[in-house]
Amino acid sequence: MNACAGVFAVSCSGEQTTGAQTLQRERQLNQFLAEVERRALRIAEIGVRDRDEALDLVQNAMIKLARNYVDRPTAEWTPLFYRILQNGIRDWHRRQNVRNRVMVFFGRGTREESDYDPIAAAPDPAGRTPDEQLQTQQAMGELELAIGVLPTRQREAFMLRTFEGLDVAGTAAAMGCSAGSVKTHYSRAVHTLREKLGEHWQ
Amino acid sequence: MNTPDEDKQFEESAKAVFDGSVERLDSATLSKLNQGRQAALAELANASPARQWSRWMPVTGMAAAALVAVVVLRGPTTVDPRDGSTTSATDFEILMGDDALDMIEELEFYSWIDVAEFESTDNAG
Repeated sequence: MNACAGVFAVSCSGEQTTGAQTLQRERQLNQFLAEVERRALRIAEIGVRDRDEALDLVQNAMIKLARNYVDRPTAEWTPLFYRILQNGIRDWHRRQNVRNRVMVFFGRGTREESDYDPIAAAPDPAGRTPDEQLQTQQAMGELELAIGVLPTRQREAFMLRTFEGLDVAGTAAAMGCSAGSVKTHYSRAVHTLREKLGEHWQ
Repeated sequence: MNTPDEDKQFEESAKAVFDGSVERLDSATLSKLNQGRQAALAELANASPARQWSRWMPVTGMAAAALVAVVVLRGPTTVDPRDGSTTSATDFEILMGDDALDMIEELEFYSWIDVAEFESTDNAG
């Protein structure tokens, strides 16, 4: 009887520990996602030029991280999350290319990329004077357009390093390439962007 | 030629402009982000060990059923000590036959026949 009670107590204790660990993990994940989600959305939006699509991609990345990688150390979450997101963005572009080819085949034409107006699609204002707002939104619009025409790897390296603030190793992990490649892509991206935007940008 | 200082200044400006656009995200978008986060957290709850076990339950059940079927079909047949007839495979065939459902419905009747046959064999012996 006592032995049974002991086994039961150990079993209950084990379940409580697991439950507490799960709760703690849930809190950590919630905090991480809340901290990263807004920047991730804007990065995805610049990548696909569509907010609704970007929202779907970010949500998918969140779910995949929770489903497959939540047991990994929290320090690895940021590069893992962005790796999932970047893969999602690349898949999205592949699907768009296929879709456009099919549409062209059936004579429906392609979706006009020029329909997207980054300035018009810029988020709602919050506490700035109209002049400042306009200036910042214009600067962001110009930057988005310039980033949009960068080669994919350069775009990824620039956004992860500059916007998300990942270091070279973290960016390499997120992009699935070497640190040397990250440095090369990043340097080229900065050079191209500065050339396109000119000295008087911002 | 870009100098490191100029590059640094450009990066800081780009970051500031980007952060500004993040701050100005509208409430509807923030609400959708929150919904996405909650969906991810729900996924985490679904991935708890108990849930993972329950996810494998159907597969485990099928494997167990397949194992039982193999044992019944391939396993050594046993001889009924009462009348010397073989069981297992024969019983399985009966159970899988078209009349199986009728048999289950009239289980008491078949049980009575079994007992009656056994007693008559004993009396004859």
